[in-house]
Amino acid sequence: MAPQTLSTREANLFRTVIRHYEDKQYKRGLKAAEQILKRNPKHGDTMSMKALILNAQGKTEEAFALAKDALTIDMRSYICWHVYGILYRTNKNFDEAIKAYKFALKLEPDSHQIQRDLAVLQAQMRDYQGYVQSRLVMLKARPQVRQNWTALAIAYHLEGNLQQAENILTTYEKSMTATPLKSDYENSEALLYKNTILAEMGDMERALEHLETDCKNCLDRLAVMELRARYLAQLGHKDDAAKAYRALLDRNPEHPDYYKGLVDALEIPADDDAALKAVYDEYAAKYPRCDRFRTTAKAYLTLMFDKGVPSTFANLKHLYSDSLKKATLPVLAEEYLKEHSSSSATEGQANGDSSKGVGAALYFLAQHHNYHMSRDLALASEFVEKAIELDPKNVDFHMTKARIFKHQGDVAKASEAMDHARSLDTRDRYINSKAAKYQLRNNENEKALATTGLFTRAESVGGPLGDLTDMQCMWFLTEDGEAWQRRGNVGLALKRYHTIFNIFDIWQEDQFDFHSFSLRKGQIRAYIDMVRWEDKLREHPFYFRAALDAVNLYLSMHDSKPQSANGANGVEGARTNGEDAAEKKKAAKKAKKEAQKAEREAADKAAKQDPNKAAAQKSKDGEEAKKKDDDPNGVKLAATADPLGDAMKFLGPILQFSPKNIEGQIAGFEVYIRRNKYLLALRCLKAALALDKNHPRVLDQASRLRKAVGGSLDSLAPKLKEVIQPELADVTAA
Amino acid sequence: TAGDVEDEVASMAKSAEDRKAAAAMSKLDTRGDDDGAQANQVDQEAVKNAMNALGSSTDKKETKKAVKVDAADVNLLVEELELSKASATELLKAHDGDAVKAMRAYIQPSF
Amino acid sequence: MDIRILRPSDIPLIQHANIENLPENYFLKYYLYHALSWPQLSYVAVDVSRPPKTPYDYPKIVGYVLAKMEEEPTDGVQHGHITSLSVMRTHRRLGIAEKLMRQSQQAMVETFGGHYVSLHVRVSNEAAIHLYRDTLGFKTEKTENKYYADGEDAFCMKLDLSFIREQLREDADEEKGANKDKSGS
Repeated sequence: MAPQTLSTREANLFRTVIRHYEDKQYKRGLKAAEQILKRNPKHGDTMSMKALILNAQGKTEEAFALAKDALTIDMRSYICWHVYGILYRTNKNFDEAIKAYKFALKLEPDSHQIQRDLAVLQAQMRDYQGYVQSRLVMLKARPQVRQNWTALAIAYHLEGNLQQAENILTTYEKSMTATPLKSDYENSEALLYKNTILAEMGDMERALEHLETDCKNCLDRLAVMELRARYLAQLGHKDDAAKAYRALLDRNPEHPDYYKGLVDALEIPADDDAALKAVYDEYAAKYPRCDRFRTTAKAYLTLMFDKGVPSTFANLKHLYSDSLKKATLPVLAEEYLKEHSSSSATEGQANGDSSKGVGAALYFLAQHHNYHMSRDLALASEFVEKAIELDPKNVDFHMTKARIFKHQGDVAKASEAMDHARSLDTRDRYINSKAAKYQLRNNENEKALATTGLFTRAESVGGPLGDLTDMQCMWFLTEDGEAWQRRGNVGLALKRYHTIFNIFDIWQEDQFDFHSFSLRKGQIRAYIDMVRWEDKLREHPFYFRAALDAVNLYLSMHDSKPQSANGANGVEGARTNGEDAAEKKKAAKKAKKEAQKAEREAADKAAKQDPNKAAAQKSKDGEEAKKKDDDPNGVKLAATADPLGDAMKFLGPILQFSPKNIEGQIAGFEVYIRRNKYLLALRCLKAALALDKNHPRVLDQASRLRKAVGGSLDSLAPKLKEVIQPELADVTAA
Repeated sequence: TAGDVEDEVASMAKSAEDRKAAAAMSKLDTRGDDDGAQANQVDQEAVKNAMNALGSSTDKKETKKAVKVDAADVNLLVEELELSKASATELLKAHDGDAVKAMRAYIQPSF
Repeated sequence: MDIRILRPSDIPLIQHANIENLPENYFLKYYLYHALSWPQLSYVAVDVSRPPKTPYDYPKIVGYVLAKMEEEPTDGVQHGHITSLSVMRTHRRLGIAEKLMRQSQQAMVETFGGHYVSLHVRVSNEAAIHLYRDTLGFKTEKTENKYYADGEDAFCMKLDLSFIREQLREDADEEKGANKDKSGS
């Protein structure tokens, strides 16, 4: 079928479709597109543009269908392929998008826009070889634009070709005919960027020289000072390094790295307390750190207690790794109490603030005895009660009281005490958050949500939970999930863990715009930092905790299912927690009931909701309308037929990004052995043993694996056997 | 034009604070401005020479060893190590097509 | 306490500190936008007392200042703006907020040539107003009605940063003088 061609009038109309789309005037764009299609129903480019607009309005499926039709009609149109690529891109299928863009580019090799879109996708997908090629093409098309040079250098840098990155930056510098202004930010940053590349290449000599000449006037003064101090130290120029670190300390005496740099440069041995103290004293006389500790500490505590600074303990607890200091501080606080107890009760009342003086000292001692390195909960409790007696409305005192209950293992009392603390200052979100967290620890999900609801935004769609989810409030989602799990509500627990998983997807996608944005802003070093951090995003404990919870929950779902054909061997003794089968059954039944109830309530609520409000919902990007959640209570998640398969989604990133966390390896073993993936189970086992060869659970896993493999030797592939047998023998020997 | 309000991102924001944030975020993906980016004064001749040099220095293609890989081995690795076909093939190639060596290497702790 | 520049990898825990402490919250991308547009302006306070439990632990953030330069200043004058500032309740009254602010202000002038810094604060937030006005020297410009989502008004406050500019000029002059001495001798 031959593609249709448009009349002049219609060709003009087609251009207005594009313009309306770019201006986000979707209704008008659609109208114009319809007008063209009325006469030319088989015009591929117009169909594609219509698809693009539908996609922007959130009608994804319709858009894809139409774009496909357009392509079958006009395979040779780069517009059709480009639109196809855009659809994939906006729906986060970046691999397919790249393919489509490459087709489009073949048909229209000179399209700057398509090339740029492709380059961004390559950066996002870490196809650095492809990215280099794209940026080369773009540079050749527009060599007079500095951004294109910097971008190519970035591409080489990320690809690991530092030399070429440097060459590119230097080539541009050499071709400049006018000296850039001192205030030219882009130039300043490009110079510093090049300097960090030189340092990365390990040539500190050259890096230092470049820094002291070319970067002398760079606008990021702190970076210049820090880099210079580091290079001087690494090159062994001790005197100059010391001077450089002193200059940094003058600027910011609160950065321990600078002290470390200075002490190293002065070559002070770690055990020379007097010399160390002299250094510290120079900058922060008020900090009790070293050997005449007792006198300095006493003065400091007296000052802080007199002022009634509630965070005195928080500010001193870093000293507790030193046993002498840990022992001295409470003695000093007790002395203060003795000296002041007669006078201060009246004194405190006189100035109307009993959190000062004796109250502050009592509070310090309560925290001291509650701290994990110096814990005596009975004493802690005694001191906090005395403090409360003195100042019954003090939020901090009650907060610590709740923490003591928590450490005593009484989650119910802890929750109650923290909520009381909250009631004493209802305008402070910190205490509100703590109260909600303690309620969740006590399995009071509904109450906790209501508590957080005092601060979430009233107009949020989906109430407090909707707001907390939108605002990516990890702590609440995790604690809420864990509490539901303890209550046996599998659906809601899984729902929360999946929400966290999805937020990490969003965080990964968040870098997308910055591949081009950062070039425009000229902030290259920060961009490189971000790329490297995003590469290991899911090592974050926020991910690990929720993912491990999910894996363990899926494991227990698998184990409590009536045994079916799969997992016939190797399963015995594999339970992840102490519950027995009957208890699990009960929990499962209860969970089902709760889930049904929650669903009914949600449906009721939705029915009551103001329909106008619902219509006013807006998407974040303006790209796609918010999709309705068809499983708000996780009923479908909980009904999975393949819990182990579902667990893999969470497990993969755990093993990839946190391999040194033994809990992850242990969970990985449990999943793999149930799936009869012996080699992968062995891999987890070997990693776990390398981390802790005496871990009781790991040793138990080793014997289970031996048993499982021994029982199925005949059915194993010969090559598999060849690998696994000597390795297992190895594990036993260790 | 009231009919187009729905297309505006900022309308979702309820407070001045949020409006500012929304406006900033909506501009992040503004496109087409490197077209309009200021062309600096550059020495055209120097640039041309540099561009020519670029072309030649970039075709350093690594010649990969041709290693024969048995399809059955690929399948074994896909099944036992749960790798994609491409990664399984790559892993095998890195170990001279020896499945036992490849699997053994894969299960060693990577830290 | 460790006071240092904000890095992208700090952001999840900054976001955590924010949503635990304050009613004005943002998604991660908005923090990224600050960190990647004006990486010199935002600072964090880190609790150095806790040793990491795993190799993957991130430093615990107990305070932060998230700052920016105004992209299109209505008055045409380059200036900084404080988007968000917070210190954990457990670490208040240690002067952390002040230290964070001073580092940020310094960079606003040095790196971006800022002339002043502005911010909004809830009219009921006495502790913060005390910090800005009495400790840091901010002046109240005006009141913005219903600035916050819950309907509360905001004070719009400003601090002239010429004292930092002057200091920088003096330092530069001194250095020039020192260099002259050196070359002259």
